[in-house]
Amino acid sequence: MQLSLGPTQAQLDSCVTCGLCLPHCPTFRLTGDETASPRGRLTAMGAIAEGAVAADEVYARMLSFCLQCRACEAACPSLVPFGQMMEGARARLARERPTTTGRIRRLLVGKLLNLKWLLALVTSGVGLVQRLGIMRLLPRRMRLARGLRRQRVFPHSAVGVHDVAPAVPAGSVALLAGCVMDQWFPAVHDATRGVLSMAGYKVDSPETQRCCGALAAHEGAERDAARMAERNVTALQGYDYIVSDAAGCSAHLKDYGHWAEGGGSVAARTRDITEFVAELIDTGRLPEVDGDGGEVAIHDPCHLRHAQRIVDAPRKIVRAAGHTPVEIDPDGLCCGAAGLYMVYEPDTAEALGERKREQVEMAGPTTVVSANPGCEIQLRAHLGKGYRVLHPIELYWEALNR
Amino acid sequence: MTVLKAELARLAKGMFADPIPAAPSVELTVAPAQVEDAAAILRFASKVGLRVLFWGGGTHQGIGNAVAPDIVMTTHRLDKIVDWQAEDLTIVVEAGVTVSDLEAQLQQRGQTAVLPESPAGATVGGLVAAGLSGWRRLRYGPTRDRILEVVLATGDGRVVRGGGPLVKNVTGYDLPRLATGSLGSLGLIARLCLKLWPLAADRGMVEVADPQMALRTAYRPLAVIETTERSVAYLAGTRAELEAQAARLGGRLVAGHRWPEPLAGPREFVLRVPAGEIGWFVDEMRVNEWAFQAAHGVGEVRLVVDRGDDEQLARLREEAENLGGALVAYSSPEDGVFDPWGAAPESADLQRRVKAAFDPAGVANPGILPGGI
Amino acid sequence: MALVDDLRSTLGSDRVRSHPLELIVYDKDAGVTRGEVLAAALPETTQEVAACVRIAAAHGVPVVARGAGTGLAGGSVPAEPALLIVLTRLNQIWEVDEVARTAWVGAGVLNLDLSRATEHLGLHYAPDPSSQAACTVGGNVATNAGGPHCLAEGTTVAHILGVEFVTSDGDVVLLGGKAPDPPGLDLRAVVVGSEGTLGVVTKVLVKLTENPPAVRTLLLTFDSIQAAAATVSGVIAAGIVPAALEMMDQPMVVAVEGFIKAGLPVEAAAVLLAELVGLEEGAAAEAAVVERIATAAGATSVRVAADESERAVLWKARKNAFGAVAQAAPDYYLHDTVVPRTKLVEVMTQIYEIGERNNIRMLNVFHAGDGNLHPLVAYDRREPGMSEKVRAAAEEMVRISVAAGGSLTGEHGVGLEKRDLMGLVFEDVDLDAQARLRDAFDPNGRMNPGKVLPAGARCFDFDLMAGQDGGSS
Repeated sequence: MQLSLGPTQAQLDSCVTCGLCLPHCPTFRLTGDETASPRGRLTAMGAIAEGAVAADEVYARMLSFCLQCRACEAACPSLVPFGQMMEGARARLARERPTTTGRIRRLLVGKLLNLKWLLALVTSGVGLVQRLGIMRLLPRRMRLARGLRRQRVFPHSAVGVHDVAPAVPAGSVALLAGCVMDQWFPAVHDATRGVLSMAGYKVDSPETQRCCGALAAHEGAERDAARMAERNVTALQGYDYIVSDAAGCSAHLKDYGHWAEGGGSVAARTRDITEFVAELIDTGRLPEVDGDGGEVAIHDPCHLRHAQRIVDAPRKIVRAAGHTPVEIDPDGLCCGAAGLYMVYEPDTAEALGERKREQVEMAGPTTVVSANPGCEIQLRAHLGKGYRVLHPIELYWEALNR
Repeated sequence: MTVLKAELARLAKGMFADPIPAAPSVELTVAPAQVEDAAAILRFASKVGLRVLFWGGGTHQGIGNAVAPDIVMTTHRLDKIVDWQAEDLTIVVEAGVTVSDLEAQLQQRGQTAVLPESPAGATVGGLVAAGLSGWRRLRYGPTRDRILEVVLATGDGRVVRGGGPLVKNVTGYDLPRLATGSLGSLGLIARLCLKLWPLAADRGMVEVADPQMALRTAYRPLAVIETTERSVAYLAGTRAELEAQAARLGGRLVAGHRWPEPLAGPREFVLRVPAGEIGWFVDEMRVNEWAFQAAHGVGEVRLVVDRGDDEQLARLREEAENLGGALVAYSSPEDGVFDPWGAAPESADLQRRVKAAFDPAGVANPGILPGGI
Repeated sequence: MALVDDLRSTLGSDRVRSHPLELIVYDKDAGVTRGEVLAAALPETTQEVAACVRIAAAHGVPVVARGAGTGLAGGSVPAEPALLIVLTRLNQIWEVDEVARTAWVGAGVLNLDLSRATEHLGLHYAPDPSSQAACTVGGNVATNAGGPHCLAEGTTVAHILGVEFVTSDGDVVLLGGKAPDPPGLDLRAVVVGSEGTLGVVTKVLVKLTENPPAVRTLLLTFDSIQAAAATVSGVIAAGIVPAALEMMDQPMVVAVEGFIKAGLPVEAAAVLLAELVGLEEGAAAEAAVVERIATAAGATSVRVAADESERAVLWKARKNAFGAVAQAAPDYYLHDTVVPRTKLVEVMTQIYEIGERNNIRMLNVFHAGDGNLHPLVAYDRREPGMSEKVRAAAEEMVRISVAAGGSLTGEHGVGLEKRDLMGLVFEDVDLDAQARLRDAFDPNGRMNPGKVLPAGARCFDFDLMAGQDGGSS
């Protein structure tokens, strides 16, 4: 499949520079600076495409400062495909102006994330560090480790798991295990499998699947991203549905049409676990459980709310679990995690994380649900000990097993 | 000198008017019927340095520093209703049209210019120049928000138009609002376009115990006025709305509006303070046993005092100014005891320059504004 | 370059933008014109703004203030190379006075954030330009911005009680204030709408408006523009001033529906959005009258928003209209004329005729209730001769509006775009007076030069000493 590099002229033309995206951009809200806004970034991309100025480190910085939360996209009345444009611009910049840091980052997200043994090793390391209580010795950029769940020293993976099919299965589901999701959040996968089995689905997690390639795509490692997409198109064929319980992954699978031959079919069959389960609750195939109605704060991951426009589903699941959903942010501004952004841009991530903490504290509940692993890590790191942060599907699974 | 006098006489031909008894005595009183004629006089006045005092109905000449004029220019011949676009809710009038005539005409078609309730003879131009708003300000906003267009004969004798006869317009600097309250310091306000409002179907009043509470319980009343005797919420709308408002206020609905009678006394003042601070000042009025009328939600208190209350007045002015407000004299500025305005505004320097842009020779109501501008 | 060095030493290097790419990002607003920016400064306090003004003066460089850059008339696009002072970081809400219903806010506070911050008190900030989610209060002050709800409440100037103002010399003065009618000339009113040509507003004292107890929002459809326009005139003539009365034509409804997917009536030739507010008794009665007038004028359907969320969707549709235009073509050009409401039908007919004759794609969405038109032309500037054709057609629309007794701009401001059309509505002597007023504030012509007034607005032939021939006598 022919990948187009950089934003296309047609994409650039689709912005009329009205500025309605500005208030939805977390980096613009923090800085007030047009160069840190979606419109500013698009203008810069246009200037580079026209050749008005050369792509240099200032341009690179403008691109890398973006969280790729795609909140601007949801707000855009002209339907500018900002996420794709940013991915394209980063890929083009990586090709035309390669830097060492860029190469390392792309190596990490394009190659290393697929090395399961390496991830397992890191996970064991984290598990050990957590048990030894030496977290505070980690360098600043690694502080996000504060937000990790307690990890196993001997990690387990969902890849290759084939759950027993019900007598008359409602359909077949491929669970996208993911990379860090698989290693660091096994309990979420357990809950997902449990809930889907209960609803009568046969759940597999095919052996040949790879990381979805979202992080590679965001980082401009377009060839790696394409390769992963191609592999997954093959690995995921034949299933009625493809379900992911990480919003970043489900959002990217829905973009597969741009990444691989046959990707459109994956995109059409992909559901985020929250939308899938919410629909099953709606149709009565999954029950609503009585509970104490305890309040649960809803954190909307950007790739759920903005990229996939899924807003009601997590709230519905929380209610079905017998809880009362509580809003924390009318704009759904990014928490600052944004994939690896929190590692590359610790200051901005920190500022946004603190904002989010204030919002959660204002809202009241001490349980917070988030349907994406990155956000969960960030929330836990910022909220500290008094808070419980988990995936809405875990909350629901807990309720079902009460 | 004789040459100049002769020239002035030639210019003023056809404009001569009888001296106005209440006005300072001058050699020449003119009553132009055209804005261009007014401009010609002002141009000449600027050239030779003659001071001109503008005169409408003479009902509010007590406001501001006293002007010692050489010429009095009255607007009683600028008395035409030029263009009433009833279906667009706008009207163009000349400055000398009286408020009572205008409102009476408008009322026939169920409209109002929301001009202040004023004594007989008060002119539209005069009230706008004085920047006065009536009791209904709480609901409809100040008069200056309804001045859509102004034609000025500037101090240096130009005929300048600003704004436009449209309900919404941001073309150019806002001369209509600048002219409102300028007290003739820029020149003569000769013609105005006013924004009109449809009159409500019905009117009513409810006596209330706590005026501040009434502001919060009634939905956008026309006014909540506290006087020495009582507090009243003034309402307008359909009969059903009035009854609903009265129910909210928990009081008995009385049909129609009776505005407080104008206060009369040896010295009249208007106190203007932030609306939330009015309570303290009203208490002061009561302690001093001064007659007052307080517009709650607006922050304006009209009051009359006797001579000899200077100490209390000074205290009141100081408190008001500390809060960014003012105590402004509305009558007998010549009694000399009290500056009519109080402290000069911090923008005095800019104000002086703005006046000079219209009246470089300083002949139009010179010195009338705070700081002698 | 010394200007940038001086700025950096005052603000720190992270709040000064001077790289060529950054300057390109800052060289336009939401309109079509580009300008030349020498540097963009991001001060955080009034004192820093004053310092920037003084630094610019020391270097003989003009100053242009900018908010969020959502203006449509080029008000914040430099007409000559200038220092851009970006006020977005002055975004603090300093004080909300619940009793007096006022708030002191930084110029960089977003319009909608202000309403959100006062919602729990049952108050809101009334002017609601379509860009209200993105635009700043300071920018609203500069353009005297309007919005749908300015029909009953008036444009920005009616809601600004005072401003903290940095003069062209870099001094700071308070104009207006919390008490009504401060003594002296109302310079506050002159500064509102002056598009940064008199000085820089850093802090704003706004009036807050009580939320109405009842709201009725009606969506009326028509099979002709004329029928919709006649309804507007009919409502005003019937003595009803709705809170808002907005019109959208079919091409615009189609574009917005593409974004909002709210089941808007895409088949109707024209749509009116009417909002009546007040006590339950009043809003309901007025809504009934509006419905009756519309039906008499030939309305094909009436939909009443059932709840707050449906109302929110209707308003979201209206307020995203301009932005949705890119679905039709990559560029747009629009005007902002005002006509007497009695002339709506006549002028709209002529405007469509101009569009047809020039074979250009036109979409209309506007504040019908106060006669404020926004004929918008969607085009592609790369098509040869297109930009010229569009501008010529747009100018013709302005001319017919003015000929009908109208004006150049109702809310967007004059800026660069309509500067040279000022002569259509004002005589030389009027423009000269405005130029003198401007000089009183900015004698050295350093504040946003080249805006609002056309070149040559100062007519020295009117010089007083030239004698009586200067005017008619």
